[in-house]
Amino acid sequence: MNTASLIPAPDIIPVHWAWFKVLLITTFTAHILLMNIMLGSAIIAFISAINRQSESSLISLEKEISQKNTFIIAFTINFGVAPLLFLQVLYGNFFYTSSILMAVYWLSVIFLLITAYYAAYIYKFNFDRLALNRKYAAGLSALLLLVTAFFFTNNMTLMLVPGSWVRYFANPSGTILNLSEPTFFPRFFHFVIASIAVSGLFTAITWQRKKKNGVSHSDINITRGMKYFIYATIVQFCVGIWFLISLPRDIMLLFLGREMVHSAVFLAGLFAGITALVFGFIKKVWPAAWATIISIIFMVLVRDMVRTAYLKPYFAVEKLKTIYQYSPMIMFLVATIVSTVVIIYIIRCALQVKPS
Amino acid sequence: MPYNYIINYPVWELDFLGGGFLIAFIAVIHVYVAHFAVGGGLFLVLTEMKGYRENSFGILEYTRKHTRFFLLVSMVFGAITGVGIWFTISLLNPAATSILIHNFVFGFATEWVFFLGEIVALFVYYYTFGKMNRRQHLAVGWLYFVFGWLSLFVINGIVTFMLTPGEWLSTKSFWDGFFNPSFWPSLFFRTFMAFMLAGLFGFITSSVIKENDLRNKIQSYCARWLIIPFIFLIASASWYINSLPEPQKLMILQSSPEIPPFIKAFLFLSPLIFAGGVLMAVRISSPLKIIVTSSLVVMGLLYMGSFEWIREAGRRPYVIYGDIYSNSIPVKEIDFIRNNGILKNSRWAMNKEIDDKNQLMAGKEIFMFMCISCHSVGGPVNDIRKAAKKYSLYGMESMLTGMGKINEYMPPFPGSGKEVKALAAYIVKELNGRKDEIPSEHSIPSLKTKTFPFDPSKDQYVLLGWTGQGMHSILDNNRFFGLSNPGTTIYAQLIKRGKSPEIVTANIELTYRIEDGFDTPSSQTDFWKHSKALYGRQIKENEGLSGNKTEGKMDYDENIMAYSAADIPVVPYRKDGAYIPFPVIYIEAKDVQYGRILCSTGISVPASTEMGCRKCHGGNWAKNGVTGLSDETALDIVRAHDRSNRTDLEKLAQAGNPQMCSKCHSEDQASPDTSAKHLNLSASIHGFHANYISKNDPDPCSNCHPSSGFSKSYRGIHSNVGLECSNCHGKMEDHALSLLVYEKNKGVKSAEKLMKHLYPRLADSVTQIEPRKPWANQPDCLNCHIGFNPPDTDQSPQNMWTRDTKSLYKMRSDEAGIMCPACHGITHAEYPATNIFGDERANFQPLMYQKNRYPIGANKNCSICHTVDMKEEIHHPNMLTIFRNFN
Repeated sequence: MNTASLIPAPDIIPVHWAWFKVLLITTFTAHILLMNIMLGSAIIAFISAINRQSESSLISLEKEISQKNTFIIAFTINFGVAPLLFLQVLYGNFFYTSSILMAVYWLSVIFLLITAYYAAYIYKFNFDRLALNRKYAAGLSALLLLVTAFFFTNNMTLMLVPGSWVRYFANPSGTILNLSEPTFFPRFFHFVIASIAVSGLFTAITWQRKKKNGVSHSDINITRGMKYFIYATIVQFCVGIWFLISLPRDIMLLFLGREMVHSAVFLAGLFAGITALVFGFIKKVWPAAWATIISIIFMVLVRDMVRTAYLKPYFAVEKLKTIYQYSPMIMFLVATIVSTVVIIYIIRCALQVKPS
Repeated sequence: MPYNYIINYPVWELDFLGGGFLIAFIAVIHVYVAHFAVGGGLFLVLTEMKGYRENSFGILEYTRKHTRFFLLVSMVFGAITGVGIWFTISLLNPAATSILIHNFVFGFATEWVFFLGEIVALFVYYYTFGKMNRRQHLAVGWLYFVFGWLSLFVINGIVTFMLTPGEWLSTKSFWDGFFNPSFWPSLFFRTFMAFMLAGLFGFITSSVIKENDLRNKIQSYCARWLIIPFIFLIASASWYINSLPEPQKLMILQSSPEIPPFIKAFLFLSPLIFAGGVLMAVRISSPLKIIVTSSLVVMGLLYMGSFEWIREAGRRPYVIYGDIYSNSIPVKEIDFIRNNGILKNSRWAMNKEIDDKNQLMAGKEIFMFMCISCHSVGGPVNDIRKAAKKYSLYGMESMLTGMGKINEYMPPFPGSGKEVKALAAYIVKELNGRKDEIPSEHSIPSLKTKTFPFDPSKDQYVLLGWTGQGMHSILDNNRFFGLSNPGTTIYAQLIKRGKSPEIVTANIELTYRIEDGFDTPSSQTDFWKHSKALYGRQIKENEGLSGNKTEGKMDYDENIMAYSAADIPVVPYRKDGAYIPFPVIYIEAKDVQYGRILCSTGISVPASTEMGCRKCHGGNWAKNGVTGLSDETALDIVRAHDRSNRTDLEKLAQAGNPQMCSKCHSEDQASPDTSAKHLNLSASIHGFHANYISKNDPDPCSNCHPSSGFSKSYRGIHSNVGLECSNCHGKMEDHALSLLVYEKNKGVKSAEKLMKHLYPRLADSVTQIEPRKPWANQPDCLNCHIGFNPPDTDQSPQNMWTRDTKSLYKMRSDEAGIMCPACHGITHAEYPATNIFGDERANFQPLMYQKNRYPIGANKNCSICHTVDMKEEIHHPNMLTIFRNFN
C-alpha cells in the first residue's frame, strides 16, 4: 500500500501559514515551560514525599509545590489548548490520523488529567492532614502526568511517520503505540528530564524570593532546586545526544552542518543550555533561568524543524491552500491585547493584597 | 481510474461505544458544568454584593465557600471536559472537526484567550476573598463573569453554526457562519440557562450551611436565580425554535423519530424544575430540601441534556447543516461517491473492490466509514443490531437503498449496488447472525377438488365463472391495522349451447357455495372481531361486507350481462388450519320454474395471506411457517408509520381500536380545492416503498405481493412464458410515479415528498408520466395484443392504461357479450395456468369442458358452445388460430 495515499487531504487555511507557525511556536513555548514546571514539580514533590527522613525543609518544599501546582496545572492545560489548536490548523490531517490510531490512549488523557488535577487539589487542600499519605497523592499526580506525557509523545511521533500508519489495518481499535519509533523513548525522556531541570530551577527561584522574606529553609531548598537543575541538565545532555542520534540520519545531519540554519539554531540551543548549566554550577539562579528559557526557545524551534523534516516527503505547510480572511485574526489579536491588559489589572490587584 | 479520495480518515473501531455515546456523555456533562460556570460568575459577584449590602458575614462566607466549590467543579472538571469534547469530536468525526477548526480557528483562539482571563480572574477572586479591598474584589468578580460570558458568546457562534450555517454555505465567510440565524436566540437561551443553573448549584452549596436562618435565606435567594431566568428561558426557547430555518424546524418538530422523547422530557421537566425552585423558596424541612436539591440537580442535567440532544438531532442528517453529513461525507461529493463507490473513495479502505470472498470484510469497512459515527454495535446509543434486527438481507438492502430519501434524518447511503449488498450482508449475517432463509418446505395438504362431468354431445349448458381478482391479498391479523377485507367477488355467465348460443339471463337462479372446510372463515381470522373498529359497524361472523355468506345466491347485473356475488368471505385457511390460498367456490345454475340443475362448475378463488411485509418489518410468518402476518410484523408496520408520520396507530390498536389504512388513505378524496391531505393507499404504499426497493431488483413486486412464494398467485400463461410483473405494469418507479402524479395533480402535497427521489425508468422524465388512478387505470391487454394478435413486444408501452373501471379486462365483453375472463380466466391466472394445489385450481373450466388447459374455445374448439365448428371470428379477431404457447 502506498503510504502517501493514506494521508488525508488538508483543509484550507484563512491567513498566511506563517502566522500559525508563529502562534504555534509561541504558545507551545509557554506551554512547555509550564508543563516542565508542572511535571517536574510533581516528580520532585513525590521524591520529597517518599523521603522518610521527614525533614522539615523537605516538607516546606513539598508544601510550596502543593500550593502552586494546581495553578500551574490550570495554566499548563490552558496553554496547551492554543498550540494544539494551531497544530490542527497546520498539521490536522496528520494529527487527527495519529490520534485516531491511538484513540483509546488519546482520549484517556482527559481522564488522566482530571484525576491528576484532583489529586493535586487533594494534595493541596489536605496537605497537613494527609501526613505520610502525601506520597500517594503526590505520586498519583506525578504518575498520571507522566503517562499523559507518554501518550503525547506517542501522538506527536506517530503523526510524523505515515509509514507506521499501516498498522491500523491490523489494529483499528485505537490502541497503537509507536514504540518502534527510534526517537520515541529519547524524546519522552528528553521532555521528562527537562521538566525536572526546569522545575528544579523554578524551585530555586521560588525559594530565592522566599529568602528575601526571611522564610526558613530557603537556602537549603535553593540548593536543592539547583541540584535538581544541574543533575537533570547533565542527564539531559546525554538524553539529547541519544535523541539526536536516534533521528533518521538525513534529519540528524541537518543539525550537524548540512544545513546552516538548522545547525545554527541547534547550536544556539545547545550553547544556551551549556550556559545555563554553567550558571547553575555557580548558583546564579536567574541567569541560569534566562539561559534555560533561551535554550528551550531554540529547542522548540529545533523540534519544529525536525517535524518539518519528517513530513517533507509528504507535506509542507507552504503548500497549504489559503483563502484569506484576516478580520477574524484581527478580532483575536484585539481580544488578546484587551484581555492581557485586563489580566494585568487583575494580577496587579492581587499583588496589592498583603499576605495574611 | 485515479482515486479521488473523499473519505479521508481512518475510523476508530468503537463497536460498543460507537454511535456518539462518548460525545454525548462528555458533552452533556461539560455543557452542564460550563453553563453553571458562566451563570455562576454573576451569581458570585452579586451574592458578594448582597453580603456587603446586608453586612452579613454569613453570606460572604457562603460566597467564599461556594467559590471554592465552583473552582473545583468548573475549573477542573468543566475545563478539562471542554478539551475532552474537542478530543472526542476529532476522533469521531475528524473531517467535520477539521472544517470547524479551519473556519473558526480565530474564534477558538479568542475563546482560549477569554478562558485564560477566566482562570486568572477566578483564582484571584477566590484566593483574595476577604483580603482584597471590596471595590477591587468586586471588579475582579465582574471581570470573571464577563470573561466567562464572552467564552459562551464565542463558542455559541460555533455551536449554532453547525445547526444553522446560513449564508456561510455560499460565502464561507467567518462572520456569516458566526452570526448565523440561530446565534442570538441561542445566546439568550444559554445565558438564561446559565443563570438558572447558577441558582440550582447554589442549592447544593447552601444545603451544608449549618445555621438555619442563613440557609433558608440563601436558598430563597438561589430559588430566585432559578425561577426568574426560567421564565425568560422559556421565552427564548420559543424564539430559538422559531428562528430556525424551515427544514431544521421541521426536523425537530415533525420529521425526526429520535427527537420526540427529548421534547417530551424538556416539556415535562420545565414545570417540575420551576416547581422545585418554588419549593426551595418556601420554608420546608431540611431533609426535604436536600431531596429537592438532589432531584433538581438530576433534572437540570436531564434538562440540559434534552436540549442539547434536540439541537444535535435537529441538524440531522448533517453534522454541519447542508455542508457535511453525519458520516463525514461532504454534501457536494455525494453524487460523485454514488457514481464511483464508497470504498474506492476511501483512503483507508483495504478492500477497494468487492467480490464473493471479501464481501463481509468490505461490508465491515463500509459500516465503519458510513455507520459507526451514529450507530454502536451492541452499545447504548443507536445499536445497529437492535435497529437492524428485523431486517432480512433483502430488507436491509432495501433500507439502505431508501435511506435519507423519505426519512431525512439519516444521510443517503451513497454506495454502489455491490456496496449495498456487502454492507447489508455484514449487518444481517455477521452482526445479527442471521442465516439465509431456506425456502419453506411446507407440504401441500391433500386436496379433493370436486369436479363436474360435461358431455359435449348431451349437455345443453356451459356455465362459465370467474373471480374478480386474479391475485388477492388479505390480512389474517387485523389487531393492529386493517388493509383489506376478506371479500371476494365472483362472476358467472350461463350459455345455452346451440348453433347460435345464447347468454341465459332469465328464469334461472345462480347459487354459489364454497368448498367444504372454508365455510366458517371467522374462525380463521380476527377480521370479524375487529370489524367494528375497522369499518364502524359490526359485521356478522362468516359474512362479507355486502352481507353475502359463504353460500348464497348470485345477482344478475344487466350492465355486464352476468351474474355476480360481491364480497363473499373467503380466507385461505381450511378448518383444519391447512393453508390453501385457492379455495374453490362451486356455482350452480338452476331452472327457476322446475328447479332443475342446468349446469355446475367451480371457480378457484385466490386469497393469500402471504405478503412479504416481514422481509423489512421483521417477525416470522404467523401460520404454518409459510404465511400470515405476525403481531411482530404488524406492530412494526404501525410503529414505523407512527414514527414517520407522528400518528398514534399503535396506541389506538393497543386500545382495541385498529384503523383501516383506507380511513386516511382513501381512494376517493376531496377535490383539489378542499383539504386533500393524504395520498390514496396505492399511491402511498407504492410511492413509499419504491424509494426503498432497489432498482437492481428484477422482481420487486413479489417481495410484497403474493405473486410468487408458496401462493404463487401470478400463475397464468404470462407467468409461464417468463413475463414479469413489470412487463405489463411498468417498472416499480414508473408505476409508483404514475400513481403519485395523479395525487399530486389532485393537490395532495405529500406526493412530492415521495416523488423527490424517484426517477422514471422507462420515461425520460417525470413530466412524461401519465397520472394513473388505482384500480381504474390498469394495463390493457390490447396494448401488446394489438388487434388481438400476438404481441411484437413483451413490454407494455408507457402510459397506456385502461380508461376507467368499466374498461378493465375483467369488466369487458366481446362482440357477443361474453366477458373476457369467462373464456380466458382472470388476470394473473389466464389459461393455461399452473397451480401447485392442483390443475383444477388452475384451469377448472377448461379441464371440465374441454379436457385441456387452454382458453375456452381455443384451438378452434367453437363447438363447446356452438356445438359445431365456426368459421367466423365473432367474439374477437384472430380467435380461430391454434394456441401458440403449449406447455
